[in-house]
This record gives sequence, C-alpha cells and structure tokens, in this order.
Amino acid sequence: MTAQLIDIDAPPTRRPVSALARRNPTVKLALLFVVSLVLMFVFDPITPLVLYLLALGAVAVTARIPVKVFVLAHIPFLAFALGLLIVNALSRPGDVLWQSGVLRITTEGLLVGAALALRTLVIGVLSIGFVLSTDGVALMTSLHQHARLGSRLTYAVLAGYRMLEELPREWQTIRQAHAVRAPLRPHGKPPRGLRQYGRAAFALLVLSIRKGERMAQSLESRGLGLTPRSTWRRIPLTRTDWAMAAAVLTTLTVVVGLSSFLGFLEGFHALNT
Amino acid sequence: MPETDILTLQDVSVRFPRRPEAVLSDVSVRLAPGEQLIVFGASGSGKSTLLQTITGVIPHSVVASLGGSVRMGGTLSIETSVVELSRLVGVVAQDPASSVCLPDVEQELALPLENRGVDPALISARIDRALDAVQARMLRHRSTGQLSGGEGQRVALAATLIAEPAVLLLDEPTSMLDAAGLGAVRRAIRSAVDTYRPAVVLVEHRIDEFTGTAGIAGLPPRALVLGEAGTVIADGPTVDVLAQHGRSLNQNGCWLPLETELLAVTGCAGGLGEAGVRAGLRSLGEPAGALGRRQDFGRIVLTATDVVIDRGVGAPNGTATTVLAGVSLTLRGGEIVALLGGNGTGKTSLLLTLAGLHRPSVGTVTGARPGMIFQNAEHQFVEHTVRGEIRHGLPSLSDDELQAILHRHRLTHLADQSPYRLSGGEKRRLSVAAMLAHDRPVLLADEPTFGLDRRDTIATLAALGQAADAGRSILFSSHDLRTVATLADRVIVLADHTVIADGPVFEVLRWDEVLKQAGLELPTLIRHLLKEFDSDARIRRVLGQLDAAVGATT
Repeated sequence: MTAQLIDIDAPPTRRPVSALARRNPTVKLALLFVVSLVLMFVFDPITPLVLYLLALGAVAVTARIPVKVFVLAHIPFLAFALGLLIVNALSRPGDVLWQSGVLRITTEGLLVGAALALRTLVIGVLSIGFVLSTDGVALMTSLHQHARLGSRLTYAVLAGYRMLEELPREWQTIRQAHAVRAPLRPHGKPPRGLRQYGRAAFALLVLSIRKGERMAQSLESRGLGLTPRSTWRRIPLTRTDWAMAAAVLTTLTVVVGLSSFLGFLEGFHALNT
Repeated sequence: MPETDILTLQDVSVRFPRRPEAVLSDVSVRLAPGEQLIVFGASGSGKSTLLQTITGVIPHSVVASLGGSVRMGGTLSIETSVVELSRLVGVVAQDPASSVCLPDVEQELALPLENRGVDPALISARIDRALDAVQARMLRHRSTGQLSGGEGQRVALAATLIAEPAVLLLDEPTSMLDAAGLGAVRRAIRSAVDTYRPAVVLVEHRIDEFTGTAGIAGLPPRALVLGEAGTVIADGPTVDVLAQHGRSLNQNGCWLPLETELLAVTGCAGGLGEAGVRAGLRSLGEPAGALGRRQDFGRIVLTATDVVIDRGVGAPNGTATTVLAGVSLTLRGGEIVALLGGNGTGKTSLLLTLAGLHRPSVGTVTGARPGMIFQNAEHQFVEHTVRGEIRHGLPSLSDDELQAILHRHRLTHLADQSPYRLSGGEKRRLSVAAMLAHDRPVLLADEPTFGLDRRDTIATLAALGQAADAGRSILFSSHDLRTVATLADRVIVLADHTVIADGPVFEVLRWDEVLKQAGLELPTLIRHLLKEFDSDARIRRVLGQLDAAVGATT
C-alpha cells in the first residue's frame, strides 16, 4: 500500500482559532438554516442586498478567512447567481426594458432575478463562513450532543469521513494498477476513456464496501450503541453562542422589518406581476 | 474450574450458505481468565471464523448457520447482540486500516470508554496509559489518516486494550510492525495479561517476530490446532502440541516457530542451539553441487539514471517532498533483485517510477515497458472472471494459451469465479498470472508475499523464479529477509532517501553497517546460515530444502 507516502510530520490540523470557529457548530448550522428559510419568502433585491453586505462584513471580521480563499469560494455562488439573474431577466413577462431580436429584458424579470441572485449570495457567504470555520468532527459531535443525533449515525458519518479522506489515494493506486496492463495508445500513454474510469470506479466501490463492512464491525466491537454512554469532550454551548444567535436573529428581524416599513419588501406576489 | 471459565465454546460448528463443507466442526474450548491460547492451522482451516464466532459477528452480522453454543461469562452469544458482547470481548482485527475508524487518534481511543459510560474526567488519563502501553504516546494528537501501517496497528491495539475486555482476540496483531513496534506490542499484551487477566486468543503468522528471542516460551502456553473442515486436531500445552504436530503443520504450510520447523525437518528438538539441529541443517546443504543460480545474466533491460522522486508535486498547497534522490540502477534479463528498506523509505515510489506510473522529477528511466504486481492484488482486478482477468489487454491470446496459463498457476478450477471471491493466496496467483501473461522483459513486484501463508508464499516465489528462468528480470520489494535470501540474486537497499547498497544478496546480508543503517534485522535462521556456510549455493540449498518440506500444493 502507499502507507509510506504519508507525511508523518504534518502538524496537527483542525485548531479552531477565529471567533466564528469557536462558536457552537449546531447553533451556526441552525442560524444558517433560519436565514435561508426566511429568505425563501423575500423577492425584492434590496432586503437580500442589505443582508448580504451585513453577512459579508460579519463573516469577514469573525471568520479570519484569507481574502484569496474567500474570493475563490464565492465563485460557484456568483456563477449560480448570475445564471439566476440572466434567466429571470430574459424570461419573465413584464415591462420591456430592452429588446434585440428574440432577446428582451423586463423590469420585473430583472428585479426578481436580482432578488434570487442576491439571496444565493447571502446563503453563499454564510455557508462559506460556516464551512470554513467549522470542523466536521466537531459538527457531528455537537449535533449528537445538542441536536440529539443518534450515536450510531454520528459515528457512522465520522467513519465515513475518514474513509473519504483515503479515497483519493486508493483511487490513484487503482488507476496505476490498471494502467500497467492497459494497451498503450499510439503516443505511449495509457487510455483514459470512460470505460477505464468505470472499471476503476467499480474496483473502488468493491474495496470501499468491504472496508465499510469491516469498519462497521470494528465500531460495534468498540461498543458503539451501548447505553448509557458518556461524552468525553463536550462541545461547549455558551452564553456567547446564544448572544450570537440573538444578534443574528435581531439583525434579520430589523432588516426585514425596516425593509417592509420603507416599502421595499416584496413577497411571493412579486412573481405574479 | 468450570464455574470460573470466562469463555466456553461447546460443540461449535459453522457452515456458510452454498458451501458444502463445514468451516468449523464440533469445536469445544474453555478458557479461564488470564489463560492464553494460540491457534494454529493452515489457511482456510477456520481460524478467522473461530474468532468471528467468539465476537458474535457469526451469526449476527455474517450469514452462517451456527451449531453448538458460545458462552461468555453468563451470556450466550446467540441471544446477545455483537454490541452487548463487546462489553466482554475486545478484538484487534487483521487490517489496521479498517479497524481504526475515526479521524483522530484521541477520539479513536476515547470512543470505547464513552460507549461504556466511563466518567469523562477519567478518560484523558486512560488514553495516555493505553498509548504508553504500546509505546505510542507521541501519536496522541495525530490524525489517523497520517498513521503508517505499523502505527495504525499499535493504535488499534491500544483502542482494544483501553476497555480492558475480559476476552482479548488478536488476529495477526503484528503484520505491519517493524522491530521496535513488535517489542512494544509484545510488552503491551503481556502487561495487560498481568494486570487485569483477560483470556487471550491469538492468531499470528509472524511467530518468530512475535516472540522475539524467547522462541516457543514466548508464545501463549496453550495451543489449539485446527485441521481440515475446522476440526480440533490438538489442544494442549504449546510445547507438546508443537512437538507432536509440528511435522504435519509444517507440511500443511502453517507458519511455525523456527524451532518447530527445524524439528519437523531435521527430527531434532531444541532449535539452533542444539548440535543435532545444526548437523541436520548442514546435511541439508550437503550435495550443493551446481545448484546455485547462474550468475551470467542477460543483457540490461532497464536502466535508471540519477533519478529523483518527489511526491506531492502539483498538489494545491505545493508541499512537494523528495522521497529518493540520486538513484541509478540497472536490471538484467534473468536476474532476481530484491528491494529492501524500512517503512517509508520509498520502495513503492521507486517501483511505480520504474514502471512508468510516476514521473521522476529529475533523471531518466529507459527500457521496454515493465509489468508490475501491486501489494494488494485487488487493486489490479479489472474483469469479472478469472478467465477474463488473464485475457485483459491481450485480445490475441488463444484459448490454448489461456488454458496453459490457468493450469500453470493452478487457477483452472477457478476460471469462472469472480476475482474478488478468491482467497488471499488465489488472488495473488491470479495477479501474478495475469501480469506474466503479458510479455514484458521486467516484472516489478511490491511486497508480493505480504499476508500469505507459507505455502502460498513458496508458490509465489516459485512463480517469480520460473519467470526469471525464462529470461525475465524481476525486482521485488520485501520486508522478509528469509524470502529475500531464498530467492534474490542481488539486493538493493534504500535508506536516507537514496540507494545505500547494491550487490550480490549474501554479500549485502553480511554487511552489518548497511543493515543497521537501513534498520533491517536478520532472522535468526539467516544469521546462523551466514555464519555456518561460506558457500552461497549451500545456504540457498538449505533454504530450498526447508521450503520443500512444505507439502506440494493442491
């Protein structure tokens, strides 16, 4: 195997450092969920724009994400947001703002498109903050502790997480092992077709299922599922976590309330005009 | 005694669906707390099944019919779930990669205690104690993905011992350990037995490594021999069992203590310390004649010049590290070369580079395309039948040629089976056969005998030897110096990121400084033979005769 390819001197990973990283993962996940849920009923561009700017500022200040990483992580959300904007602007009926041949942009389309695009960015920036400040292991432990996720499910996910870490190496070894007997293409490289990937994927699947079975047996033999059980390192749920939740929910309420008061807020009916 | 037994197997029989013969037949064993048992048996005799029956995996998780009863403490395994049984029984499974389940070492060790509801305030100290027992305190803050095979094995043992199970099952707990790790594991098991007296059941291949210098005295004092269809052939004091059954066990290809193997072959007990044994070995080497392999090898078929191998090149975080540098070597037709070096010295990386599967950062590899056999045979399988596997990549292979290959590698009866369903030894035979079917001048092999029983090891060496006789060049990596001394003509030793020795096998094995620098330790038998014989041909003949004492394969 390729056990010797592991860098044994690598420093321990997953040290929470930033303010956001120290917060309780379950609380963060719940807040992300609540904000997303509320935004589902908002169809004007102003409210999500304000929320996006606030969220961007808050994540930038509390999560200590390097600027480059932050910008790169935005790309998928920006691309999706742009797609929403264009599709809505071009396809919604309403007052025509601009027309050229079969293409026409409507005011209503532009507004709804911008609302959906900005909604994507709000959820995006909060997700980036959540993912980059949360350790997967701590999240699972916290969900087990604070959201009553069963211990068997929790540890099954954690074991799966470990298997996932090893998949790239396993995949590479299988591809190499298959390449040895593969007929070479004219310029001397092994083939890289769909068929070859399919075969390697099948081998990976078989090996992973076997390994999963053995890991499940190991977890059982370690007594996973016995009751009562104790938890060694509790993920703290502190006043600061509640304060963060209160701050986020208050901000959300104030922004949506103010937006409604000032007449910006639009609900589902924006879709029907 | 009966009321104090912690483990009682009464007439245990196990059958798997769609297999006519039983895997275990009427096995009855009782173990008291603190009692230690070693199980001997050829591969396929039901050793692993026996352990699975004790843990309750059979019949709860694996579909099999179980006859008789397994009782642990007061509970019957058939009436109790595997998880409940885990309160009493701890297992160290064969493959450390799948017995370490969580992302961090600390969590891995905390889990068994959390599951048993241990007070969280006590857990940290117990983790330290468990890691100290296997001399792996420095691994505490590591993530498990970064552990080497040997480190993983020590962590797995610690995670089993930490719960102090009343019954401790050890399934080849040392397969990946180096000399230092072996000592740690040996001491950890002994101290566990001394402090809280678990009943121990041990299955082990690397017996001499496990016992260190203690020989048979270092083994569990009681031995159980499983024969065909999983019947108990013998159960008694290890010394007596080995004395009485050593010969047939040896013929059946079981790994045995050296002393027992020598008794089986020379008829004299007592090991290398006895004059009779030494005389017996001398006579084995007697008609040395011209039995040494020829030294006039063919033309050069592969050349590596000033090769530098980095890993992690092009990784997103740009942390490339040099594995090997300044490697120059040649391989000749008909020559068998062994690649030696400690864990992590880059043996696999070098083989992959020579095979053209990894691009060297500097330097060149020239020669026709080599073949390569991977350590885990399953990584190579691409087809759904044994027949298809051999045909793979060879559309012009005739049926007659296919039949001949199947026959030569004893795969004819398995031709329509799925490669994944074969036994370990059969998988290895198939991977060798499928690779040799391709006409490549060089065959590279990564630990080709790892995890095999003795009979399959000998069969694999024979296949490699025949390929060399047919004019191919063989380069294989191995951690087993007896295998190397039996087969190789030449040895290349890796240490400190480069080649530190390259020469005829027995010259290098006599070179203490090189062995020391590479962290290699000669097995007792090889050390003795090097001292006893001047002639390499005789050493080779003795080793060949010892292997020949293992019965012809079926």
